[in-house]
Amino acid sequence: MSGFFQATIYGLLQGGLLALVAVGFSLVWGVMNVVNLSHGAFVVLGAYLGWQLHSSLGLDPFLGMILVAAVLFCLGYAVQRLLINLVVNGPIFITLLLTFGLELLLVQGMNIVFTANYQSITTSYAGNAVIVGDIQLPLGRLLAFALAVVITVALVRVMSRTRVGMSIMATGMDRGAARLMGIRARHVYAVTFGLATALAGMAGTMVGVVDTFNPAAAGRFTLLSFVIAVLGGLGNMYGALVGGMLMGLVQAWGGYFLPGTWVNALAFLLLVVVLIFRPSGLVGKAFYSARLEV
Amino acid sequence: MKTPRYLATASVVTLALSLSACGSKGDAGGDAGAAAGVLNLGASVSLTGKLAREGTLTQEGYQLCQDKVNAKGGVKVGDKTLKLDIKYQDDTSKPDTAAQLVDQFNDQGIKLILGSYGSANTEAQAAVIERNNQVMVDSSGADNNIFAKGYKRTFGVLSPATEYAASIVKAIAELATPKPTSVVVLSADDGFSKRAADGAVKAAKDLGFTVLETQYFPNGATDVSSALNKIKGSNPQVIIGSVHLAEGVAIVKQSKELGIKPQGFGETVAPPTPDFVTTLGADANGVLGSSQWTKSASGKDDYFGTAMQYEADIQAKFKHEAGYHNAEASAACLAFVLAIQKAGSTEADKVRDALAALDAPSFFAQLKFDATGQNSTKPMSVIQIQNGKMVTVWPKDSAEGKLIWPGLAS
Repeated sequence: MSGFFQATIYGLLQGGLLALVAVGFSLVWGVMNVVNLSHGAFVVLGAYLGWQLHSSLGLDPFLGMILVAAVLFCLGYAVQRLLINLVVNGPIFITLLLTFGLELLLVQGMNIVFTANYQSITTSYAGNAVIVGDIQLPLGRLLAFALAVVITVALVRVMSRTRVGMSIMATGMDRGAARLMGIRARHVYAVTFGLATALAGMAGTMVGVVDTFNPAAAGRFTLLSFVIAVLGGLGNMYGALVGGMLMGLVQAWGGYFLPGTWVNALAFLLLVVVLIFRPSGLVGKAFYSARLEV
Repeated sequence: MKTPRYLATASVVTLALSLSACGSKGDAGGDAGAAAGVLNLGASVSLTGKLAREGTLTQEGYQLCQDKVNAKGGVKVGDKTLKLDIKYQDDTSKPDTAAQLVDQFNDQGIKLILGSYGSANTEAQAAVIERNNQVMVDSSGADNNIFAKGYKRTFGVLSPATEYAASIVKAIAELATPKPTSVVVLSADDGFSKRAADGAVKAAKDLGFTVLETQYFPNGATDVSSALNKIKGSNPQVIIGSVHLAEGVAIVKQSKELGIKPQGFGETVAPPTPDFVTTLGADANGVLGSSQWTKSASGKDDYFGTAMQYEADIQAKFKHEAGYHNAEASAACLAFVLAIQKAGSTEADKVRDALAALDAPSFFAQLKFDATGQNSTKPMSVIQIQNGKMVTVWPKDSAEGKLIWPGLAS
């Protein structure tokens, strides 16, 4: 029985990390109606920046991720204003093309700058575990999980209590009405995209602490983010957290009770089942997928 | 809402720029090359995608071979001496692209092909090679399945997949004190890894170990916790990973996180890859790995000299230790050069016959192929990471150091 509890705890912790990876993707999709296929590349870029700060300056990744977030916020803001803003009013096919192209450029750029070598941010503590009874709580994953919860709660408070947050939500709900109220949609979109890339950078640093990465991992992070965002639903900041934790649990339980090669099939089966019964996701708001852009 | 034309144009231009960055599709000389005193070999290598790391090491091996052969004047073909010129294409780690590139080389008149990295790519290429009457020397596709289809035009310089993990089991049985009694194999679900896992299970049973049920996970997984949770209660004394680098690192990392402490780990492809030590740090110490080649290998040839000289050449040119991915690629290129010289022709059929009859020593191993095209007499080596360095511990006659057992880093 302790094996099952261990698998459950590990699945929840893994789910927290997945949620952290997906939260920015969900935010951009929910607010801007842009499915950002370059999201995974920003996650990997964050991992590389965190790794560079750790290996060159000796900066602990939990401190380094703040710098990483700041750098990626600026990069994301600029990318949105200068590039994605050109097509943000276009059909989703165009934004898909653009962000796919951006993903390829970023991945190739990282291949050139960092090479295809696998890297990991090796710390003295992340692989250690807190032992509770028979259960091991890996410290690195525990911290990543805590970070995912803190960031999600902080994001909810920013969205509901600050002027910037309310501008973002208002623009996401009805861009035309928001403009009539004097909100500068272009700036709001750029802030949203910057926030998402900053969160991707923080998630990437965490991935670097507990896993290995190289530029080729970008596609996997984008796919995971997509599935988690759809599972959790758009329009609710808790969506990614719920989706990520559910994904982690299903993978852990599926891997524990069934042959391990079934885990990916199970994750997509879960997605199909949720979409049948709750087309707007587990905690998503239905009007988000049906809204009209003007 | 109608999309302004410039918006669509901006997107398409960005995509086109990105795709152009993915890989160059340069042209190659083919027969025209031979007429100009150049011998072209085609090589589809994985320079981007999930196998980019191993693909880059493979390209380095090919490149060093080209340098060494040309430094000796080139390839003697009858009364001519041709400069070796390897044409590279990036297959983006995808088997279907690797196969298409072989076709593309054929269209350019290049009939002699050096294999891509990995069994999946090589298996896809072998079918096209056979259809086009080309010839391929395979540097890194070890899956026995590639050689079980009756192909006559693919020759592999490396030991077959079934020997990878089995050699680790044999080394532990021979050298470990106290001898462990139970073994579990954790395997990725690709063809090569499954074949290697089967080999390990058979070897372990033959040697009297208690063998637990093999656990599988998706190829390329960075989370193998489900497999580890399943075996945790059984306390296996040896965990054998039939894996690539990402899964191999995950097994060691996540075992530590989950408090799984066997007497030792052994993994197939991961530990001899330089990134294994850089990503795991001290946790890599004690892990056993199987290697197609080590710098203590015996044998020498006119181009690369001994294994130690090969190691020095890789260090000088690429600024890192020579790995077996480098060595097997250089050996594949060398096999082609020796066969072409023996055939006295670059004609594909004659080179094929010369390869089939080849029996030559080299820095890598004896280059000799059986009727299926495998180098089945070549032994594997087993290495152990000791103080961050690879040390050959088995077979005894080429060992650089003694096995440290229990091997788990404390």
